[in-house]
Amino acid sequence: MTTIPAKRLICALSLFALSGSIAVRAASLPDLWKERVKSVVAVDYFTELENERRPTTAYGVAIDRQGTVILPSAAVDPRASPRQLKQFKAYLPGDSSGFDAVYLGQDAFTGWHFVRVDPKLAAQLTPITTWAAAGKSPVPELAEEVWGIGLRNKDEDFTPYLLESHLALIQSLPQQIGIAQQEVASPGLPVFNRDGVFIGLAASSFGQTFLQFSQAERGGTPIMLIDLEESCAFSLAGEVLPYLGRVPGNVNGRPLAWLGAYGLESMGRDVASFLKLSDRSGAVVSEVLEDSPAEKAGMKDGDVIVAIDGQPLPRFRPDRVVTDYVEREVERRRPGDLMALTVLRGTERVELKAALGDEPKLIREADRKYFDRLGFTAREFVYGDAVARRVRVKDSAGVVVSYVKPNSPSAVAGIEPDDWIKEIDGRPVRSFADGADRLAALEADTLRTEFVLLIGRGSGTSILRVKLR
Amino acid sequence: MPAWAQAAGMGKSFNRLLNSVVRIDVREVNFEDGGRRLESSIGSGVILSADGLVLTNAHVVGPRAVEISVTLANLENVGAKLVGWDHWTDLALIRLDMAEINRRKLTFAHAEFGDSDKLFPGETVYAVGTPFGLTRTVTKGIISNTSQYFEADREVEGYETGLFNTWLQTDAAINPGNSGGPLVNEDGKVVGITARGYMGANNLGFAIPANTAKSVLADLVSKGSVTRSYIGIVPGALQNLEGFYSLALDTGMLVNSVDPGSPGERAGLRGGDILLAVDDKPVDGRFPEQLPAILNRIASNPVGTHLNLSVKRGTDTRLVTVVTERLESSVGEEWAFDRWGLSVRKVSRIYAREHQLTDETGAIVIGVQPGFPADVAGLQPGDIVTTINRRPVNSLEILKDAHAAYVKKPEPTLLEAERDRRISLYILKP
Repeated sequence: MTTIPAKRLICALSLFALSGSIAVRAASLPDLWKERVKSVVAVDYFTELENERRPTTAYGVAIDRQGTVILPSAAVDPRASPRQLKQFKAYLPGDSSGFDAVYLGQDAFTGWHFVRVDPKLAAQLTPITTWAAAGKSPVPELAEEVWGIGLRNKDEDFTPYLLESHLALIQSLPQQIGIAQQEVASPGLPVFNRDGVFIGLAASSFGQTFLQFSQAERGGTPIMLIDLEESCAFSLAGEVLPYLGRVPGNVNGRPLAWLGAYGLESMGRDVASFLKLSDRSGAVVSEVLEDSPAEKAGMKDGDVIVAIDGQPLPRFRPDRVVTDYVEREVERRRPGDLMALTVLRGTERVELKAALGDEPKLIREADRKYFDRLGFTAREFVYGDAVARRVRVKDSAGVVVSYVKPNSPSAVAGIEPDDWIKEIDGRPVRSFADGADRLAALEADTLRTEFVLLIGRGSGTSILRVKLR
Repeated sequence: MPAWAQAAGMGKSFNRLLNSVVRIDVREVNFEDGGRRLESSIGSGVILSADGLVLTNAHVVGPRAVEISVTLANLENVGAKLVGWDHWTDLALIRLDMAEINRRKLTFAHAEFGDSDKLFPGETVYAVGTPFGLTRTVTKGIISNTSQYFEADREVEGYETGLFNTWLQTDAAINPGNSGGPLVNEDGKVVGITARGYMGANNLGFAIPANTAKSVLADLVSKGSVTRSYIGIVPGALQNLEGFYSLALDTGMLVNSVDPGSPGERAGLRGGDILLAVDDKPVDGRFPEQLPAILNRIASNPVGTHLNLSVKRGTDTRLVTVVTERLESSVGEEWAFDRWGLSVRKVSRIYAREHQLTDETGAIVIGVQPGFPADVAGLQPGDIVTTINRRPVNSLEILKDAHAAYVKKPEPTLLEAERDRRISLYILKP
């Protein structure tokens, strides 16, 4: 017999204590509610753009005693650069006096945004893990009662309210998602069972399709309605609790595992059975990116991925979920990890081994600079720009227009967002620093009356003359 | 001579012109709904020779026409055949069925061209044609502009047009159905072929100048088509950029863009270059109105000509030699596969170039018929079918073979198609 290290013993004991406390049919719903509402916060922040500050509010849960909070992926516009996100504040439900908070970044695998709140607020929060079941997280049963928390808007002090429903369905998308009969929580907020055990985190709502009929116009077009404030779908606790430790080390969420198989497409049942994949599925790789781990592993455009590390790709309903599955398989790994891929090339099965890399600089990480007098923002030309424009990364330089100020000299000259500035005043732009320096000189030179840009747009180029006065 | 023509003080020649204007009824194949459909349309035309040549618009009669019926001035109907078309100038030439004419002893007059370069703004002109099917309608107006410019577009059933000519603008009423009819001066001479009007505007009509039509007509008569040279430069007007490029006024043409893979690109030309001269003859592209003539000058050379271009880049001026290629349309051959409910257009070299495709493999879906195998499989217009049963679609024949096999013995057929650069697989299922 071996002695159990003291630390592990304490851990085991406390888990025992916890499970003991929730094994008993818990107190009334109001009592459960009063404690669990302490796990949720509202967070707001501004996205600071060239000429506006756009406020956003999101809801999240506390995951530890340090005041770390996770927000759903939809809480931040994926195009926004982390540097544009300012003034994070966190609020207790029912109280509109905010506490400072810091944005920690997004985790690629779960999609969660992590925020850390002021210690004064952290002290008042109860981590969501407090309500977790000991051992395996319970999966709610069909028709089981489930309840969660909703939060009203800021003008109502983020007042919490109760939502309650019954489980209708569990789907793999590819995460296990519980779907309730009605809305059960605000997106990002927790869902519990009748015993008060944490069973999931509300996801963004499902779109519901409605047919719109008008008395004047017969045969109306279907419209899709999405409830942004409440959701009937939630990721099961088993898809949440194991990943709470994925706190990003930096705001860009680096490192990001990268395969470089671009444009994954799912296939229908008919195609899968034609390819003799029986009840499995596959994902078509549309393009293998330049210098990517996929290219180095010998992957080709049009290859069909049918297995990862020897595991055949499962079939999902709907079929299109398989692409998310493959992407998550990449995202859960780290740069340097080996990934064995079985692909179908024509009728041949090919085994590939890719050593994942670190994703090249993303557009949201690109350096950028706004020139108010010229009237546009120039940003660094990054890998994704070369992919989008079908050019070789190696032969590409210049800067890309990311914003054009309305009615500015640049707007009048016809410059548009996404234009690729290749030359300024007849001289090639060699790098972001080169472009930014020369644009800054133009911006500062009040005697200049005009300048000329060679821009790339679509498959062609165009000369644009910008008149400064 | 009709009393009204006399009252208008018009001569015999005007009357003769009126007797040379015809109504053209066309039935043409349309592949756009995933099948083969016949469509009817009405246009106008003008007879230009005693042996029955009729000039009209390319958007009235084109290669898709399966039946052409011409109504002569004396209201008699006679068949006609396409001689050739040129969508770049929106002109087409048909020939009356002379055997039928002779058999039925029908008569007609033919018109003559005038000199469109001698027109002046304010000059009185008449448009004659069949607006909305109203046979032999004469409207009167003036020349509003002798060389109007608009950007090249794709108004001739999706084909490119307008790169190589400017347009006569008139306020004579032009309506749908006037297309292909003549714009004539007071002497009854054809100075233009009416092609288009701005819908919803008041009296903004446009015609192809007779001098452009004359040279196109000559090519269509002799060869059935117009062959042009292509070097792949997209021009821009210099207009006030002369200072920036240190150029004298009225010198040079700006190269806005160079088509990827074109002779111009291979010769090292690029956007921002200034074209100073072609084979020692100076170029002046200060205004947009001047650009079509310059492009036409380049295009008029035989295919394979070595053109010496004098090009200015920065402070350097250099001589660049380009070898011209044959100008092609981006619109490829079309076909419909009835059993699949699928109609396609072949990817052309130019289409591949414009859309940055790796090569010209594939056929673009232009229509699917609801409920048919292509639709059920999920194909949509705009998709590019690249392989069928793992065979690359290098030509429409590959698809035609597969379709024939399917008709004979319907079996699941595997397609690979691209949509917005994304590759998907589809099964056409019986």
